This record gives sequence, structure tokens and C-alpha cells, in this order.
Amino acid sequence: DFKERTFRVSNGVNEDHPNSTGMKAMQVCLDEKTGGKMKMQGFWGGSLGGDLQATQAVRSGLQEAVLTSSSPLVGMVPALGVFDLPFLFRTPQEAYTIMDGPFGDTLNEKLDAVGLVNLGYWENGFRNMSNSQRPIKTWEDFEGMKVRVMQNNIFLDTFDNFGANATPMSFGEVFSALETKAIDAQENPYVTIDTSKFYEVQSYLSETKHAYTPFLFLFSKAIFNSYTPEEQQALRDCTTVGRDVEREAIQELNKESLEKMEKAGLKYNTIAPADQDAMLEKSQVVYEKHKDEIGADIVDDVQAELKKQRAAQ
Amino acid sequence: MKRISDLFYRLLDIVLGLLLAAMAIMVFVNVVMRYTMNSGFAMSDELSRFGFVWLTFIGAVVVHHHRQHMGMETVVSLFGRGGRLFLMGLSDVMIVGCAAVLTIGTWKQLPINASMDAPVSGLSMAWVYGIGLFAGVGIILITLERLFRLLTGRMTEAELGAFCGEMDILDTLPDDNSDLRAPDVREHGK
Amino acid sequence: MTLLVFIAALLGAMAIGVPVAFSLIFCGIVLMSYMDMYNTQIIAQNMLIGADTFTLLAIPFFILAGELMNAGGLSKRIIEFAITCVGHIRGGLGLVAIIAAVIMASISGSAAADTAALAAILIPMMARAGYNLPRSAGLIAAGGVIAPVIPPSMAFIIFGVAANVSISKLFMAGIVPGVLMGVVLIITWMIVARNDKVETLPRAGWSERGQASAKAIWALGMPIIILGGIKMGIVTPTEAAVIAAFYALFVGLFVYRELKLADLPDVLISAARTTAAIMFLVCAALVSAWLITAANIPNEVAGYIEPLIDRPKLLMLAIMVLILIVGTALDLTPTILILTPVLMPIITKAGIDPVYFGVMFIINCCIGLLTPPIGVVLNVVSSVGRVPLGQVIRGVGPFLLAQVLVILLLVLFPQIIIVPAHWFY
Ligand code: NA
Ligand code: NA
Repeated sequence: DFKERTFRVSNGVNEDHPNSTGMKAMQVCLDEKTGGKMKMQGFWGGSLGGDLQATQAVRSGLQEAVLTSSSPLVGMVPALGVFDLPFLFRTPQEAYTIMDGPFGDTLNEKLDAVGLVNLGYWENGFRNMSNSQRPIKTWEDFEGMKVRVMQNNIFLDTFDNFGANATPMSFGEVFSALETKAIDAQENPYVTIDTSKFYEVQSYLSETKHAYTPFLFLFSKAIFNSYTPEEQQALRDCTTVGRDVEREAIQELNKESLEKMEKAGLKYNTIAPADQDAMLEKSQVVYEKHKDEIGADIVDDVQAELKKQRAAQ
Repeated sequence: MKRISDLFYRLLDIVLGLLLAAMAIMVFVNVVMRYTMNSGFAMSDELSRFGFVWLTFIGAVVVHHHRQHMGMETVVSLFGRGGRLFLMGLSDVMIVGCAAVLTIGTWKQLPINASMDAPVSGLSMAWVYGIGLFAGVGIILITLERLFRLLTGRMTEAELGAFCGEMDILDTLPDDNSDLRAPDVREHGK
Repeated sequence: MTLLVFIAALLGAMAIGVPVAFSLIFCGIVLMSYMDMYNTQIIAQNMLIGADTFTLLAIPFFILAGELMNAGGLSKRIIEFAITCVGHIRGGLGLVAIIAAVIMASISGSAAADTAALAAILIPMMARAGYNLPRSAGLIAAGGVIAPVIPPSMAFIIFGVAANVSISKLFMAGIVPGVLMGVVLIITWMIVARNDKVETLPRAGWSERGQASAKAIWALGMPIIILGGIKMGIVTPTEAAVIAAFYALFVGLFVYRELKLADLPDVLISAARTTAAIMFLVCAALVSAWLITAANIPNEVAGYIEPLIDRPKLLMLAIMVLILIVGTALDLTPTILILTPVLMPIITKAGIDPVYFGVMFIINCCIGLLTPPIGVVLNVVSSVGRVPLGQVIRGVGPFLLAQVLVILLLVLFPQIIIVPAHWFY
């Protein structure tokens, strides 16, 4: 049986993001399973605080849920740094198989240990580069470029290692810093580059696919445990429904965003497979440097699984 | 006792000044390095933010000590002496309550912050946000001392005047530094 | 209903003399209890994370720049420059006050700091020259509140962070309405002070003017550095603030030589305390802002205003009246932080340009700095200029009215803000 429950889900992204599409599908599923008793209330654009603040609030049981990118959480669950490793995944399918399988469960256990129930891995997608200087085709093209990165050491090291000047900067300052050319480049999924209007102040778009970061649908463990098993199961099942819709929506929107930005006059290029391999090769020092802090077993695990997957194809 | 307290607030002032100077230098050097050496100091952003948190919460205690937190005196100044003393006590009790909530909340958050490290510097967030304890406890102690003096009839006229917005005695100017030079309020009243 | 509980708790605490920052925390506690979600961690988390924002770092740096500008003799040079230019005209010292206010506004981000410098130097001069004292004090108060409208501005930074609007754009959009406020104040002054029997200052010779300009040139260079730096693409607003502080330090130490290294600790400490007072209040206001959002009050309010959503000018007028009322009792910073989460979704829905709205919001909040019961700028003029508060309130009347008319004009003709803003960005 189900109680009347309304829970708040905090989002850093705006309501036009596919996360919203996914949450709508999830709500439809919840309505069916709970007879309309369980309601989600989405908060957008970080109106309940940034991803990190919202996640801390969820851990403390101050609020029920957050749909956050994995990168800001590395400070509390170092293993999540695995998603920040450069050029780890090649296709979304590779990432899905890893995240929805036993490897994803291993990470979920670590999240559980800090008071977070991960209901599912939604898609943020491959991160690509935009800049105001030149097309990026090989790693040498990064030389001397001022790149905004998230406040995250793996990203910092990845770009510094390519000879760029990586500058950590909060998301809210990126537009004006790009506009004023205080920085040259930024990296994000296409949808974000589009919806945050970064493309209006950039000239080149290069499909580097240097990292695949997921969104995590995190529920407060304290609150989750107070729900009945039926309610918990409904939440788990419907998050999966929402996840599949969101993944499809974001793939579609990524394509649309790319088209739109090309139409707006950005010069777009992809990276030749050989150059992509060279970038990965060059990045091995970053893997070595961060392996211990992420957890050697985690990094080895994911690489072994990927190898198995790729061999099977 | 008075000398120790003055020394303590002088020390806090020095900490505040150093924090602000360090924040300014970090951000400035970072801009200069970006243009001259095409490199930067990756921790500058993070450390200057943390300095800012400490500055705000240590400063809140200092500002409270000097009665420089802005307030509205229009209503209290309508009352006679007895009414003013009563409202002063009531307002101090409320301040103690607010500071207690801040203290307890920070304390309860401590384990959660301790389990998280700052992404670039690796500093435990308990160090950064733990400063809420200092602010809460500091404000409680200052206010309790005032309440004690109020109840034992030792509240100075100068402080009561300041509470009612008589600004000849205390400037509530937010960026006023006159009290760095002027004698302490309590001496003023005696 | 939640909104009523909120307002009653806040104003009640403030009325019995609890400082605004603590009143805001108290109000947060009441709101949590009323919403049946009392948890001390909500207070602690929102307050502590509130200060952990890089963009807000521009606040201490602009405060520091302002302090250095006053201590290093930059403010004095600007006022002297204005006196040699227009001091000899009838009613000239009023003109000086406004011209100096506009120039200083383009350097400093805080109304209180500008007003203090203007009041300290000009009120005694105006009293000696025979100007009506309350009216002079009122004019200086009204001129002082131009500071947050012309960039740099702490108010724009706080709004930009709260509303997620480009601070650089807000800065650029504030220039024209800020100057407009100055012009309207000069006109008002010329009308209300036309019959004052005053001595005018002797006309300054060209060589004297040349000297004053040469001295002021370093001070006048500061706005160019700040705005140019942001506009030309060299720095973010936070970095511009730091550069402004180092520039003022350099000029005060080595050019005007009014600042000694030994003064520096006092300047730093004073700026740090001011920062703490403002930021503690910002953090306390963020608790309520979070609770208001979590309680979904913005949607509730949007529901009331829904009928106006297709008529942007009427909607703006209604919102401006609301801000004006809130602004009488609340100061600039809490007004921004509490109303932004409530109003921003409505503004977006109505398709109103967020930069235009931000500028209007801030101008309106600035008028609140001039209205009792809480009007910081009135207090500053009263205490620095040694004029009783009642007289300042009386004197500011006509100028207050003039600024309300400016708001009305800008509601009717948003192009006055929007069109020139696009020249700048
Ligand atoms: Na200004
Ligand atoms: Na007011």
C-alpha cells in the first residue's frame, strides 16, 4: 500500500533539459504504480542550491532527492572519479553496459555508505570542446589554450598534460569569461553548450569525447529507509523507466544542439581514430596519477570489463 | 579580564585582515599569471572561497562584539527606559536562540562535511564549514555576558543608547572604522 | 499564508531590536516550524554554503577598493575636481554633489561608502555657504544611492548570482539609468533650491581647473579600468574588483601618497568587518530564500499575478510597487535575496528581459535605502553629516519623489535601459 508522498528533486540544469523529460516519464510510471499517491516536485536551475549543496542536503535528510552530475561528488566518493578519467568510454552503449551492470552496483554500495541511495544512472553524455581559437584535431592543438574546467583535479591534469592552461571556474562565470575572452575554451556535453548559450561566444566545436559523465538519481538513504518495500520498489522501477526515456531524449537533443550550433556558424570537426588513440596514450600519466585515489581495484575493474566488452564485439 | 578580551578581539581583527589580504593576493596573482605566464594557480579559486567563509563567520563575531550588525531602532526608541531594557533583553535572548540553532546545525553537519574533501586542494570540508561553530559559540558567549550585565543592572547607558539608534555614541555605518581608533564602548559609558 | 508568517516573523523580530541578520535567521526558524520541517542543519548548511561562492568574492574586493579610494585621497580629488568645474554656478554645490556622486558611483560598489565620503566633505561646505541644511543632506543621500546602479555594484553581483543573470551585462545596462538618475536629481535640485540665498564659490581659473583635473586623472582612470577590463574581455567581475583594489592601493601609496603602508592594516580590517556584516546578512537571507523555494511559494505568487502575465508593463508596475513597499522596511541585500526567487520565475514566464528587470529591481531597492523605517543611507548622512535623522528624512522628500518618477518612466519606456545596454555588450 502507498502513502501520500511528495518529494523534492533538485536539478542543477534548467527545465528545458532532457532530465525534465525523463522525470515526466518517471512521474507517469509512479502515477500508475502508486495510484497517483507519489508525487515528484522538480526544482530547476540550482534553485535549491548547487549539485554539491543539494547532495549534502540529501545526505542529511533535509531534502529527498537530487539528480546530479557525478563529478562534483568525487570529494565524498572518490571512486566516482572513474567517470572523469579521460577517453575511458568510446560509445554510450559501452557506458550503459558498465553502469547498469555489476560495476555500477559496486559504485552504488560506496554511495550507500555515505547515505545516498542511487536509483539509477541517467545520461549527461560525452563532453566535447568548444573554443575561440582553432579546431582541435590532435592533442598538440591544446597547447597554450585557456580551458575552463570543473573544480576537479582529473580534468585539471588532463588538460594541463596536453599543454593547455586549465582554469577551474564555477559554472555561473563561464559565459562572461568566454564572452570577454578571459578564457578561450570550455568543455561540456553539446546540450549544455547549447542551452547555456556558450556557442554564442565561441567559434570552434570539436568532438573530443574526452569524458563520459552520468547523472546520478540520488535519494536520501534516511528517507528511503522510512518508505515501505513496495514504495521503494516503485521508485526503483520508475527511475529506470525515466532513465531510458532520458537517455533517448538527450541523444536526440545532442544531435539537434549540434545542428543548431553548426547553423549558428560554429566550425565543427571530429577527431580521427588514430588521433583519439594518441590522446588516450598521452593521458596514461593521468590514469597513473589518480589510480590510487580513485581506487586501483575500481580502475582495473572497469578497464577489464571494457576489454571484455570490446573483445566480444 | 578586559585586557584579555581586548587582546583577543585585536587578534581576531588581525586574522580578518590577513584573510582578506590573502584572498586578494591569490585572485590578483592568478589574473597576472594568466596573462604573463599563461598559467594559473589552480587552488586560488578554492582557497579564496574558503578564506571568504572564514572571514564571514569570524567577522560575524567581531561585528557582533562591536554592535555593528545593522538593525532597525525606530520602534525600540519609542519606548521609555524600562521598555528599552526589556526589549534589549528579549532581543538578546532571541539572538542566543538563533546562534544556538546555527551551532547545533553546524555540529550535526560536521560528520557529513568531514567525509568530503575539497576537489582541488583536498582540504576536509569540516575545516571550512566548521567555522560555523566558532561563530555560533562566540555570539552566544558575547550575548550571554550582555544578558548577565542586563539582569544584574550593569548595562551601560552607552550600550542602551546604541541599541536605540542614538548614533552619536556608536556609528552603525557599515564601513565605519572609527571604533578602531575610538575608545571601547564600555569605557565610554563609565 | 506562508508568506504572511514569514513577513510577520521578520518584521516582528526587527521591531523589537534584533539585528536584521539575526531576524532573518529567526524568521527561518519560524518558517521551518510552520512548514513542519524544522531542522537546525537547514540553517547551518545554507548559511555556510552561502559564503562559499566565488562570484560573491567581488563584494569584499569592491569594499576594499572603496576603502582604499577614501583612504588614499581618490574621493577627495574627485570632489575637488567637480568643485572647480561647477562650484561657481548658482546652486553649484548641489551640482558638485551629484556629479561627484556619479563619478564615485562608477568606482565604488556601495551606496554607504560613497554617501559617507560625500557627506563628510560636502555637508559642512554647503552649510557654510548658506544652503538649506535638510535639503542638502537629502540631496546627498539621494545622490549616494546612484552607486549601486552604476557599475561596479555589489547589488548587481548579488542579484546576478541569485537570479543567474550575467553580471557583466547587468553592469553595462546600469550605466544609462544611473546617469539618468543623476540628471533628474540635478533638475529637481535646481527647482527646489532656486530661492536659497547662498554664496557661490569664486569661479576657478582654467589653470586651477587644469590642475584639479590633472590631480583627479588617476582617480578618474579607475572606472575605465573596471569597466574596460570587464567589457574588453580581460577579467571577470570578481577579478576586476581585485584589480580595482590594487589600483587604488597603488595610486594612494605612490601617486597621491596619502596612504602609508602603516595604514594598510586598518583599511584591511575595516573592509573585512564591513564584508562580514554584509555577508553574514546575505547568508542569513539565503536560509529564507531556500525555504521560500522549497515551500514552492514562487508558484503560489505566480498564480496571483498570472492574469497580468500577458501585460508586461502592468506586471512590471505591480512588481515595482511590491518592491517599493518591501524596500521601505528591508534593506537592499535582503530584499534582493528574498524577492529574487519569488519574482524571477514570473519574469521569465512573462518574457521580460532579465537584465532590464535586474536594473529596475536594483534602482527600486536603492530608493528603499532612502525610506524609513530602515534606510541605511539616511543613517549614514545623519551620522557623518551630523544632521538629525528627522531632518534628513524631510529633506530627501522631493528627491525621493523624483526617483520614483524615474522608475515610472522606465516602466513605461523600457527601451531607455534596453537599447543603450546593447551598445555596451
Ligand atoms: Na557603483
Ligand atoms: Na527603507
